[in-house]
Amino acid sequence: MLRNRTRVSCALALTFTLCAALTGCGGGEGGGSGGKVTLRFTWWGNPDRAARTEAAIKLFEKKNPAIRISTSFAGFDAYKQKLATQAAGGDAPDVMQLDYRMINQYADGGVLLDLGRHKELRTSEMDKGLLATGVVNDRQYAIPVARGSETVVYDSVLWRKAGVPEPKLGWTWDDWADAMRKLSRSKAVEDAGRVGGTDPGQSEDVFEIWLRGQGKVLYTDDYRLGFTADDLARYWEWCSGLRKEGAVSPAEQTTQMDGSVENTPLGRLKAVSDFNWDAPASGFPAIVGEGVKLAPMPAGEDGTPGQYYKPSMFFGASAKTGHPKEAARFIDFLLNDPEAGAILGNTRGIPANDSIRKAVTPKLEGFDVVVSTYQKQFEGKLKDPPPAPPKGDASLQTTFSRDYDQVSFERMSPREAAENYVTEAKAELRQ
Amino acid sequence: MTATATRPQPAPASAGRTGKRPPKREREGAAWVFLSPWVLGACVLTLLPMAVSLYLSFTNYDMFNDPSWVGFRNYVQMFTEDPRFWRSVTSTLTYVVIAVPLQLALALAVAIALKSVKRGKGFYRSAFYAPSLLGASMSVALVWRAIFNDGGTVDNLLSWFGLDIGGWVNKPGWALVAVALLTVWQFGAPMVIFLAGLQQIPGELYEAAAMDGAGWWRQFRSITLPMLSPVLFFNLVLQTIQAFQVFTPAFAVSGGKGGPADSTLFYTLYLYDRGFTASHMGYASAMAWVLLVAIGIVTAVLFRTSRSWVFYANDDNEGAR
Repeated sequence: MLRNRTRVSCALALTFTLCAALTGCGGGEGGGSGGKVTLRFTWWGNPDRAARTEAAIKLFEKKNPAIRISTSFAGFDAYKQKLATQAAGGDAPDVMQLDYRMINQYADGGVLLDLGRHKELRTSEMDKGLLATGVVNDRQYAIPVARGSETVVYDSVLWRKAGVPEPKLGWTWDDWADAMRKLSRSKAVEDAGRVGGTDPGQSEDVFEIWLRGQGKVLYTDDYRLGFTADDLARYWEWCSGLRKEGAVSPAEQTTQMDGSVENTPLGRLKAVSDFNWDAPASGFPAIVGEGVKLAPMPAGEDGTPGQYYKPSMFFGASAKTGHPKEAARFIDFLLNDPEAGAILGNTRGIPANDSIRKAVTPKLEGFDVVVSTYQKQFEGKLKDPPPAPPKGDASLQTTFSRDYDQVSFERMSPREAAENYVTEAKAELRQ
Repeated sequence: MTATATRPQPAPASAGRTGKRPPKREREGAAWVFLSPWVLGACVLTLLPMAVSLYLSFTNYDMFNDPSWVGFRNYVQMFTEDPRFWRSVTSTLTYVVIAVPLQLALALAVAIALKSVKRGKGFYRSAFYAPSLLGASMSVALVWRAIFNDGGTVDNLLSWFGLDIGGWVNKPGWALVAVALLTVWQFGAPMVIFLAGLQQIPGELYEAAAMDGAGWWRQFRSITLPMLSPVLFFNLVLQTIQAFQVFTPAFAVSGGKGGPADSTLFYTLYLYDRGFTASHMGYASAMAWVLLVAIGIVTAVLFRTSRSWVFYANDDNEGAR
């Protein structure tokens, strides 16, 4: 008898568990708002950006009592995943912060609202070239918020203590590698239990700058790979060599990176420097101390600069929002309101709005000044930014660091991993 | 052991019913009314999504654009061109083989220990069951990550003993062990079932064995294990199915990426990655169906082998074959 009961319960339990496997989880959310319009606004960033954004939102709510903004923010990796899931489920937030690597995919997928048709959102004061980066299929699906550039962030106190000359504009990748070796070998850095810097092998962003320094590109204009498996193998072999020498972070540290400053080797106080974007680097002083400085990205051997001015992020609105006018008005406020501009400063990069930038720059303080000065030194010296990456790139960025994990944990040779990546990337771009 | 009383009796086919009961048709109608919430839920929330997922598995659906039919391409790609698919299969199998036996052994050991507890049995039972309630949650998985990270509790404790492993969750070989331990820790559900099974074993058997001079180990092997084998089998099947579908702990412990170096890239995690990160929902649907079939096969194999080791005391004419 027990046998029968067991059979029946087994069968039942089986059915339930199997069904659960296929249907996965579901969820939804309701939103009540007593007569007020509520907009959902999500972004990624560090706590500093969060505090300033909250302050700007308070001001907006005071000026527009009929609109309430409900917000959430996360680190970049977590944000990217959550937004993709929401967008796919037709539940994208009313207003969202977007990366250059996302807009093609979301605009093509019908997730984004054509903001060009909403006159509440003024773009007359925006930098024209920058504004154009938010255009997909002749429609303004996203508005660039600010301009950013990649940088080598470093703890200048420890760097100087190690007796290594500080980096300056025009230094090359060889200079950088030498500095990493010297730093890691110096007594000051060794005593602090740190290494020179982050292993650049996991970052597609850094790889792109390395490529550009050699006159190559990540993607061609017709959305194909701009490099070969040979290029990538060479890059990963070079990174791997530095890692084995102990000049850059070990695999266990590198693998913990998730797009937040806290989990970089520098943020965990395991390295003296890190590659990052200039605006998010404002999260470092709180962890590392006041000696945080920004150095230019190393250039190619012949001095070709690899870094470029990138639209650091965009604001977009959901095509399905019930309140397109309010959403446009809110984005307009964040971009064009002088008071909001004063609160937000350079937390998302140098503002894309020319008059805000001019008004804000003299009043900047703290790390905002560092970012401004950092970008100023490149004025007129950088090459044109690449066009918006193809839609498969959003997932290739993850693939890149994952494939390098295989190299850094020594489960694959750089050559094998590079071949793997190129195959995967070609398949991804075809789709 | 009074299962006979609760067994549903098949209704006689003859229509010769008298008076009191309403006609069969009407009774069926009433049954459907009472069943309707469940049936509706099953159809809308389970069967329909399953059907859609089966359809999508033959398309290139990317969540944003309309799906178009690609035949068996997803399935072919999975088995012939995707090294990560095989990596995810390997890590899932490794995990199942480590976690399930450990968890069942622990559950059985605690159940046996609890059986002989005289006072406060209810308290201990709840205390040991608690991790099963907590363990499935994201927050515990995050705490787990912190405990096994470098500079975490385990790292500090072990280096105190001179073992410098560092953070388990950042080492390919160790991360899987950390996730498996999280599952093993949640042995509450099988433990409660074992406990119920143990209490059904007639005490006379032990008395008789003791008279014949059988020691604890002999009693365990010759009485407890065979008498408990149906329950053991039930737990084995259930836990195996669940282990194949493990998601939350691996997702949280590996930071959502199945890392380091794909060592905790479990099947469901890879499925999620394909579907929601890379937006290849068609491919992910195909993976879900392959998982369903694979679990079905594993379960069938378990049922098959059960004939040789599961002992049903009450089935006189079947018994152990």
